[in-house]
Amino acid sequence: DRIKKPSCKEGAPRPNLFICKYRQYLICVLFPRVDKDRSGVISDSELQQALSNGTWTPFNPVTVRSIISMFDRENKGGVNFNEFAGVWKYITDWQNIFRTYDRDNSGFIDKNELKQALTGFGYRLSDQFYSTLIEKFDRQRKGQVAFDDFIQCCIVLQRLTDVFRRYDTDQDGWIQVSYEQYLSMVFNIV
Amino acid sequence: GYPGGGNPPPNAPYGGGHGSYGPPPSAPYGGAAGPQGGPYGGYGAPGHGGQYGPGPGGAPSGPYGGYGGQPHGGPYGHHAPAGNIPPGVNPEAYQWFQTVDADRSGFINLKELKQALVNSNWSAFNDETCLMMINMFDKTRSGRIDMFGFSALWDFMQRWRALFQQYDRDRSGSISGTELHQALAQMGYNLSPQFTDMLVQRFTLRGGRPGIQLDRFIQVCTQLQSMTQAFREKDTTMTGNIRLNYEDFLSGAITRLM
Repeated sequence: DRIKKPSCKEGAPRPNLFICKYRQYLICVLFPRVDKDRSGVISDSELQQALSNGTWTPFNPVTVRSIISMFDRENKGGVNFNEFAGVWKYITDWQNIFRTYDRDNSGFIDKNELKQALTGFGYRLSDQFYSTLIEKFDRQRKGQVAFDDFIQCCIVLQRLTDVFRRYDTDQDGWIQVSYEQYLSMVFNIV
Repeated sequence: GYPGGGNPPPNAPYGGGHGSYGPPPSAPYGGAAGPQGGPYGGYGAPGHGGQYGPGPGGAPSGPYGGYGGQPHGGPYGHHAPAGNIPPGVNPEAYQWFQTVDADRSGFINLKELKQALVNSNWSAFNDETCLMMINMFDKTRSGRIDMFGFSALWDFMQRWRALFQQYDRDRSGSISGTELHQALAQMGYNLSPQFTDMLVQRFTLRGGRPGIQLDRFIQVCTQLQSMTQAFREKDTTMTGNIRLNYEDFLSGAITRLM
């Protein structure tokens, strides 16, 4: 799936040839391929069809929704070209991270690898908690986590951490919240 | 402790936080909706009946219990001849199952379920609600549901649909902030109008007028039940305030929510 020579013209050559080519590839090859209905906006299902988790099962629709809503500025339910460039980079970055932990290239990472990855991000969590994570994000019931579920796991963790940190004003790792505050915190990341 | 300063690598786009334009509804994976709330002091959850099970007119409870003790041995996964409905299966649900199970696998997966369910404005059910319900009724944790699970899901849906219609007082096809506030109050929740408005805002269909559809109503109520339960478990002294640490918060949210 190498970059095909774009047939469309895209302005004058720019100093950085690689970036220029990459953008050309996105505009002329990738975006049209993903934007099946030619609407100029990539929807959840269009993105889902374009993505692979490496295991021959459909990409987790919930992960797709999470990613799209992160980049969809006007809440239009999809991403336009500029936003799509961000989405693509975001997913590619995750892919590179995932690959470094999925050493046998199985498309899955196990509990230890997940722990290594998250520890690398700065999380310090108990062993038991990692078991919970595996259990919850192991959509394919293999005792391991696939690429798409790994992204979702990281997104959820980050959101929960952000909202916790907002309440943990003295940064001691403890919070005190009322019933409604607790509900808002959790619904915030639903 | 949680990661200080540095965010995990792939950063959300515009500088860290997934800022103001709504964090999306996220994965409801696991069927947390355990026992439905019994009466609960200050911020009570559904106050009908005992601690478990829906009282008459109460909010539909989670699955386990609705299952009717159907022994899993019988016609599991096989197609019974037409008209030969397995015991314990709602006949209407049986017929639906045959229609919905497009690939005749004997199981309903997310895609098939999503195609089968619509809101009153004919929009398809969202993925999160469908996934949540599959996880609730998927006894085998295989990501799909069999006939018995589907029958239980069917009953669950019918009860929510009836409640939805009951609380949609102006018959608009969606539940407004005021209607949701009344609905939750009748279910026994003591929540401020601001909070229910926030819920409606968050789950209003894109581009639509404010109000939530059936799928979101089911999702909101089910998660509210489950999170109230989580809160209650921590609030041992019943003060309405809890103190919890980072990891407790994470695991509570993750196990309950998804």
